Amino acid sequence: MKTLYKIFILTIPLMIAAQACQEPEPEVFSDLYNDRVIETDDPTELAILAAGAYSNLAGTWGAHNSLWSMHEISSDEMAITQKGADWEDGGQWIRMHRHEWTPTEESINNGWNYVLGNIANVNNLLKSFGENEILNAELSTLRAMMYYWLIDVYGSVPIIEEDDETTGANVSRQEVFNFIESEVTAALPFLRQEATYATINYYVAQSLLAKLYLNAEVYTGTARWEDAAAAAQEVIDGGAYSLEPDFFANFVEQNQGSSENIFVINYDKDNAQGFNLPQMTLHYLSQETYRLQEQPWNGYSSLEEFYNSFDEDDDRRGSFLVGPQFSASGERLLDISAEANDPDGPPLTFTPEINMLAPNALRQAGARVGKWEFALGSPSSLSNDYPLFRYSDILLTRAEALWRINSGNSEAIDLVNMVRNRAGLDDVTSLNADFLLAERGREMFAEGTRRQDLIRFGEFGGTWWEKPASPEFRQLFPIPQAALDANTLLEQNQGY
Amino acid sequence: MKKFLLLIFATLVSTGMLWAQQTVTGRVTDASDDSGLPGVNILEKGTTNGTVTDFDGNYTLSVSEGSTLVFSYVGYLTQEIPLGGRSTVDVQMAADVTQLSEVVVVGYGTQDKKEITSAVASVGTEEFNNGNITSPEQLLQGKVAGLSINSPGGDPNSGSTIRLRGLSTFGANAQPLIVIDGVIGASLDNVDPNDIETIDVLKDGSAAAIYGSRGSAGVILVTTKSGAGGSSEPTTSVDFNAFTTVDMVANTIPVLSANEFVAQGGENFGSNTDWVDELTRDAVSYTANLAIGGSNGIGTNYRASVNYRNNEGVAVNTGFERINTRLQLNQAALDNRLRLSVNFSFNELEQDNINNEAFRYAVIYNPTAPIYDDIEAPADGGYFQRNLFDFYNPVALANQQDFHTERRNELLNGRIEYDILDNLTLAVNYGRDMQRGWNGSYWSKFDLQFGAGGDGIARREDYDDLNQILTGTLNFNTELFDNLDMTILLGAETQKRESEGFGVQVRQFLFDDVGWDNLGFSSIRQGVNTDVYSYHSENVLNSAFVRANFNYDNTFFLSASVRGESYSGFGENEKTGYFPAVSAGVELTNLADLGVVSTLKVRASYGVTGQLPPDPYLALPLRGTGQRIDLDGDPLTTDDIYVGSQLNRNSNPTLKWETKSEIDIGVDYGFLDDLITGTIDFYRRDITDLLFPLTVPQGPNPFDPGGAQSIATTTWANIGDLTAGGFEFSMSVNGVNLGPVSWTPTVNFTLYDKTTIENFDVPGAPSLGFDELRIVGSAPGSPGQNNNPIIRNVVGETLGDMYGPVFQGIDENGNYVLSSTDPNEWGIIGNGLPEGEFGFSNTFVWKNWDLNFFLRGAFGHDLYNSYRGFYEPRDAASKTWNSVNTDKADARITGTPTFSSLYVEDATFVRLDNAQIGYILPLTSNVLKSFRVYVAAQNLFTITDYSGIDPEVRYRDSDNDDNTQASLSPGLERRGTYFTTRSFTFGVQIGLK
Repeated sequence: MKTLYKIFILTIPLMIAAQACQEPEPEVFSDLYNDRVIETDDPTELAILAAGAYSNLAGTWGAHNSLWSMHEISSDEMAITQKGADWEDGGQWIRMHRHEWTPTEESINNGWNYVLGNIANVNNLLKSFGENEILNAELSTLRAMMYYWLIDVYGSVPIIEEDDETTGANVSRQEVFNFIESEVTAALPFLRQEATYATINYYVAQSLLAKLYLNAEVYTGTARWEDAAAAAQEVIDGGAYSLEPDFFANFVEQNQGSSENIFVINYDKDNAQGFNLPQMTLHYLSQETYRLQEQPWNGYSSLEEFYNSFDEDDDRRGSFLVGPQFSASGERLLDISAEANDPDGPPLTFTPEINMLAPNALRQAGARVGKWEFALGSPSSLSNDYPLFRYSDILLTRAEALWRINSGNSEAIDLVNMVRNRAGLDDVTSLNADFLLAERGREMFAEGTRRQDLIRFGEFGGTWWEKPASPEFRQLFPIPQAALDANTLLEQNQGY
Repeated sequence: MKKFLLLIFATLVSTGMLWAQQTVTGRVTDASDDSGLPGVNILEKGTTNGTVTDFDGNYTLSVSEGSTLVFSYVGYLTQEIPLGGRSTVDVQMAADVTQLSEVVVVGYGTQDKKEITSAVASVGTEEFNNGNITSPEQLLQGKVAGLSINSPGGDPNSGSTIRLRGLSTFGANAQPLIVIDGVIGASLDNVDPNDIETIDVLKDGSAAAIYGSRGSAGVILVTTKSGAGGSSEPTTSVDFNAFTTVDMVANTIPVLSANEFVAQGGENFGSNTDWVDELTRDAVSYTANLAIGGSNGIGTNYRASVNYRNNEGVAVNTGFERINTRLQLNQAALDNRLRLSVNFSFNELEQDNINNEAFRYAVIYNPTAPIYDDIEAPADGGYFQRNLFDFYNPVALANQQDFHTERRNELLNGRIEYDILDNLTLAVNYGRDMQRGWNGSYWSKFDLQFGAGGDGIARREDYDDLNQILTGTLNFNTELFDNLDMTILLGAETQKRESEGFGVQVRQFLFDDVGWDNLGFSSIRQGVNTDVYSYHSENVLNSAFVRANFNYDNTFFLSASVRGESYSGFGENEKTGYFPAVSAGVELTNLADLGVVSTLKVRASYGVTGQLPPDPYLALPLRGTGQRIDLDGDPLTTDDIYVGSQLNRNSNPTLKWETKSEIDIGVDYGFLDDLITGTIDFYRRDITDLLFPLTVPQGPNPFDPGGAQSIATTTWANIGDLTAGGFEFSMSVNGVNLGPVSWTPTVNFTLYDKTTIENFDVPGAPSLGFDELRIVGSAPGSPGQNNNPIIRNVVGETLGDMYGPVFQGIDENGNYVLSSTDPNEWGIIGNGLPEGEFGFSNTFVWKNWDLNFFLRGAFGHDLYNSYRGFYEPRDAASKTWNSVNTDKADARITGTPTFSSLYVEDATFVRLDNAQIGYILPLTSNVLKSFRVYVAAQNLFTITDYSGIDPEVRYRDSDNDDNTQASLSPGLERRGTYFTTRSFTFGVQIGLK
């Protein structure tokens, strides 16, 4: 009996030991296994996930320290001046302005991660939608659009497709160009020939091709002006889009009704956050002008020279905020911390002239970006949608392509005048390179096309305010150092 | 309460009733030098009749004829001497050497100190720190060589950073493993300092290896007080302690006066406000502790205690209130072969905090600004505010932002031990540590910094953590042959941790009164500045272990152990790890007569320990919540909006534990019959497979070769190698007689061979290895210094080096002359880790008086003084913000604040950490055991050349929420540092029989 009892006692540690010798499996409650999502075949889930391809675009185009900042600050449109200690930020915005950036800049890495992350997301969806020709076409075109961003900014990049086991070596810029062209061309027959909102349709694809061909000479060395003009004409002929009588109707908070915006990132202050323009450009005190939920950062402003390229009669001059600033209830705002050498003193006044880029730019200096409406009471993220392709851009694209083929082309002049008239300006009777570049600048300010335009017109390496001449290799940004470190097959762009 | 009154009544009565039949006199002397011993307790055995010796050791006592006298004195052997008709009894008291060879708690049991062959330190009640000690780790601060306990600044609610033998990990948990009465991984929040009997620290790899994959950062074993055991007669004892503490601001940052500020061009608002004074107060705290313990003499003993603390912080609206209750019950049965014990504690805590940025604004806010601006409507509090960049009234900030925490801890531990044979014991232990709580935050509608933008923002977060552990052990000991004893421990254990919680943040309130207590008063519950989340995670750790100890003739000792562990959070290819250890020692005094050397044990050990990944799901490809997807793009139609998912990180099936192997060579020594004792240790540790969140760019990478799937930029992996070493020394003199005064000095110091980075290689993905890690979050911060990280961790260099330009002077325009503005040309300009630390405690006893004081310090560490780094230059911003004006300030600098060696200061310091004077009232009666009053002071002075708030070592960056980054950024004193305090405590300790 006593022995039995002892044996019984001994079974207790054995039971614990039996439990303790198992290899425990992880039990997951709050997250989903990757396979659960990417291998789903539930049609409802799939439809929403496909729409998710667009939701993931939010985050960068209107946001600080990524692609948009690279496009804008490296061009002659905008600068982030250093205001004493404020915005010194390790000198990265000074380097960006002066074309002295390095492969370790945060923005360059953020831009890369944003685009490649979205490509991976689309690739995952393409695995699910491979069978559905229409969805397949839509997603392939979306992916091609991202490669268009990459070819423009980073040049030679790896091409990663949905079933690809590639190790990720870069391919030539020509191959990237061919990939985009063939993907979009193959998708065209399956795309909807109607205006859709914030999704890919036939006209978005043609707009993409028009812009690709317009820059073909930069990307591949071979001009494709006829193709650019033809693709733009496809958009115009389709009749799905037209110029808004009021230029700023395209940029108001509720701009989803715009007949001009062909493809937008569908921002929403609640559902799709990321467009934090008020924080980026407005003065701290502007919080009171728009009753903003957060204090702005007083960062981005336009260059004086660029501001002055707008006629006084140009409606589009309203794209800037200049002059005395008031609170929402109409009181003059006072910046008691204004520098002693600020000619305007404490009353908050945005002046187009900026005393210097660094280190002691005046806090009130510089015209601010006012193209998008700042709705009263806005949070740091706006609801205004951000256009990636706009009808007037397509008109100017066709105009430029026709002018490149024949500088006296009258249709080109007519198209430019359509855009000018809408801005309240008179007709011009002839076109030249400087004028076209400047007109594009006025129309497309702050829409992330200026750098591309300057390169195409051969002006990107030139000089402007606080920016010396820069070598040709600066037309491309470097592959981020972190990406090179992670993938030894990647090669850095020439010059870096 | 009634009983208590009765006891007091009984005391009064009994003191008057003495059966004096004979008077005994005599002198008590110390056996070692024949000096008189004051304060020795003398008791007539079996009664409550007694006295204490005077200054010279003399005594007189009336006793019954034929009785026996009991002589007792702390640190000496108690003697019982029958009178045998004598009227003079002189006694020589001998030091209690056995007390020095006490039992030490080691993993899964205890060991005689003489048998210990690894580096273990034990700290008991009498060595603990004094003053208003609110958390267990503060008891130990500075007391154990190699153990750093830091709580910079004077925040009553901030926990301590604990590091054993320096920094040895970064991605994983760098705090030592806490074991409370056998419950592994329990929170120190469970214990009130008053309830702690001893704290044992397992320092080296071999001692900690029995805790396997959680032992790398060392192990701290807390043993709580228990009821008197072993007595064959019923006993009861009651202890009551109470004290009051007054805290005042000890150190802040000097700034310009209002006049000086205006003179240098500052905006003049016409007032004169000392903002630090307005934010702070003299804080008063109360603590009371009552403990009752006893035994029924037939196998039951118990101890129950209640601790109440109400602590105010020196900053307004900060402080806590806490109640800790604890019950311990032991029951023996079957002729003491079966032993049961239950240990239960329940704790409740309420904390109030403010936004620590209030400290920054209190220093730099415009001194000419008034607190209130009567032009404003009173509904907003009437505070003076100006809508300027980074400019907030600190008093408004402290009053219009509200942070509250409530927490409940329950720790339950049940244990059954059964002696199957005389030398074979089975033990089953179940432990359960439950922590529940919630945090509430409210930013008023009128809070300019944040709340106003959301029109009042409220947040509430609830959490519920449960840690359960079931352990079975078999302990077998035998004498293998003559003089060779062997003890074998076999064990199996399974531990499960669950963590759950949820949180909500909403905004836009009409009424500013309710906040988190009724979130329903909010009107906006979605979108910017709102939040809803919940989480639930579980992990299981299964272990088996064996340990064997051999003791040959109390001279040669050998110990070996191995633990195997399987964790649900390891990658599928790396499910089980093994952690071996071996150690040996020899007591040389048993082999030869070494003269004055009374103890000389030489020992060496080697042990392998691990560290678990900081989250159980890091190996898995899991998707968390993603973007909101609006099917038609129209936010007004909400029936087509869903939340998508996104990959949190790339999977890593080879993710495993971090490994540390450590060699320790030590000597335990004693001289002059162990009057002087101490320990010396050298150690060397190698850490491999560090857990680290590798940043992996989008697109093809070794964790996602196809590049088609990854949307995550992080992969947790085991990377790199570190080495570190050190030398530890401690020495105690156990009672030096300076005439009538007995002096017990104890000194310890540590010299660190700081952690060196051997490599940042990534096994299995060599291309991801790197030579340098710049810690993005270590930049000074906003405004304008966001992008120049101070800390770089460079292969071949010391962990946590600060890089920057060397300050070379000032040019004629008041600009800095720096060695270089190119970050790539910067050199090492400091390191925040100390070269050494020391503690020096002194106890003096004279008659009924006791005095002790404790000096503590660290040397060879640097601190970045961020106040100087931002606000010392008289640049344009010094018109808005007050200028920091320490004795190091140079008013000629008018350039833009720029980080350089100018703001990195040597922070070597010596601090009179605490001092206490106590007096034992010479009262004896049959209820009153002891009555002591004392006055204590903490942080009486600090000697340092550092000009910031607190020269204490910063092992972590307090401004960085990323645990890995914070651990890799030592030496940064941030602007939100709570002002240090100086405190004075008055207390009473009453013991009843």
